[in-house]
Amino acid sequence: MAIVLLSMWNTLTVYRSYCRISRVAIMGDPATDDIFDSSLSLEDDHLKEGYNEGFEDGKILGKQEGKDVGLKLGFETGEELGFYWGCVNVWNAATRINPDVFSSRVCKNMKQMEELLDKYPILEPEDEHIDEIMASLRLKFRIIASSLSVHIEYNGYPKSSEGNTIGF
Amino acid sequence: MENEGTVGLDCNFELKEVQKLEGHTDRVWGLAWNPVTGLAGVPSVLASCSGDKTVRIWQQAAATGSWECKAVLDETHTRTVRSCAWSPSGKMLATASFDATTAIWENVGDDFECVATLEGHENEVKSVCWNSSGSLLATCGRDKSVWIWEVQPGHEFECVSVLQGHTQDVKMVLWHPSIDLLVSVSYDNTIKIWAEDGESDDWHCVQTLGDSFSGHSSTVWAVSFNSTGDKMVTCSDDLTLKIWDTSLDLTASGSDSSGLWRHLCTLSGYHDRTIFSVHWSRDGVIASGAGDDTIRLFKEIPSDVVNGPSYNMICKKEKVHSMDVNSVQWHPKVPTILASASDDGYIKIWELKAIS
Repeated sequence: MAIVLLSMWNTLTVYRSYCRISRVAIMGDPATDDIFDSSLSLEDDHLKEGYNEGFEDGKILGKQEGKDVGLKLGFETGEELGFYWGCVNVWNAATRINPDVFSSRVCKNMKQMEELLDKYPILEPEDEHIDEIMASLRLKFRIIASSLSVHIEYNGYPKSSEGNTIGF
Repeated sequence: MENEGTVGLDCNFELKEVQKLEGHTDRVWGLAWNPVTGLAGVPSVLASCSGDKTVRIWQQAAATGSWECKAVLDETHTRTVRSCAWSPSGKMLATASFDATTAIWENVGDDFECVATLEGHENEVKSVCWNSSGSLLATCGRDKSVWIWEVQPGHEFECVSVLQGHTQDVKMVLWHPSIDLLVSVSYDNTIKIWAEDGESDDWHCVQTLGDSFSGHSSTVWAVSFNSTGDKMVTCSDDLTLKIWDTSLDLTASGSDSSGLWRHLCTLSGYHDRTIFSVHWSRDGVIASGAGDDTIRLFKEIPSDVVNGPSYNMICKKEKVHSMDVNSVQWHPKVPTILASASDDGYIKIWELKAIS
């Protein structure tokens, strides 16, 4: 009799646990969120997660790309400006040795070129006048070179297509 | 004012072909008569420039009156020579080329020697012109700029200024016949007038003749002044010729070049293809050459105080060449002689005669 009662009690306990688990499974624990909520917002969650991951990765990639572009453009600009500075310095040196070596008109153009070089906002790549000043510099240089009948040209940084012609 | 395709009442002139000059091996782009020849026993001299990269000098033989090629200026330009112009003294010839240079040639006996090369334009130079005193030279090109050069002793040329303002290819530059005023015409449909501020090399655009001035609606190809310099005519891809006049007082010495130009008259309904060239003779006859292989001549009819001057076509000659007429130029001393140049590689000399 006791064994029957005991096995009945076990079965009942098991059955009650089962019911409790089932009830929790079907209706959820009232103390926490409805478990189906997370499946309804699944798409949104995945989107947000993807976006955030992309954003973080993009920040890193973008910074690297910006750095590369800045370095390339900065080098090209610096090289061109340096070339013009070099020319102006040579011309000034020549004028110091012989003040009459160049005509007054050419001297005026050289002075204007020096002023443009001083004015170039080297630390402000976002300055709206930057392209204008560079265009004026290039034109001034061509005018002076033409008036001196000199065949010098600033060829710019060698493009990759011309890379094969560089020898060491 | 519009002259709408009506044949003028005095269309009683004709152009008689005097001679056809052969020699160039590609299209002939431009012509220039030597300004000090053709009078007082000096035989007329004509220069022509071509896509064959050469310039030819033609002279009229005193005895026979026929034209012969006296010299070929070659091995200098490496591309088409697009325009040529004699200095007012007739001693130098400037040639503008697609190779981005302008060469200056000097007549040494029977030969021509290249004494200077002007570089500066970034690409094709389209036109070159000397000012009336021969002290300045202007060039223009596809790089949208106009360069002004000063002529210095020893065949030195110094760039005075680079004029930027046109937004497209500049087709032609022309100096005013008596004052240092420069006109440029462009693919951007406008005509620009440039003048110097004082003597400071400070050239700037004093006027732009575009839409707001009843300007052309397509590429302006050429411009020409009348002999007194108070009027100019322009021709365009819009199939019209436009006459402009100025309020400038040209008689006052040291003329202030700030007088403005205004539209006087538009001649439309004549040519039905692009008009590439126009030239105003000493006698007041305007010649136009176009893509329809035709030359037309116009003359001003006495002005009506109310309506102002108007122009009538006095002659139309079709099929003057088998292809586009690129240039028409009146003889500087004999106002009835006209030269024409074409894509067909030939140059023709014409004589204007009244139909008897």
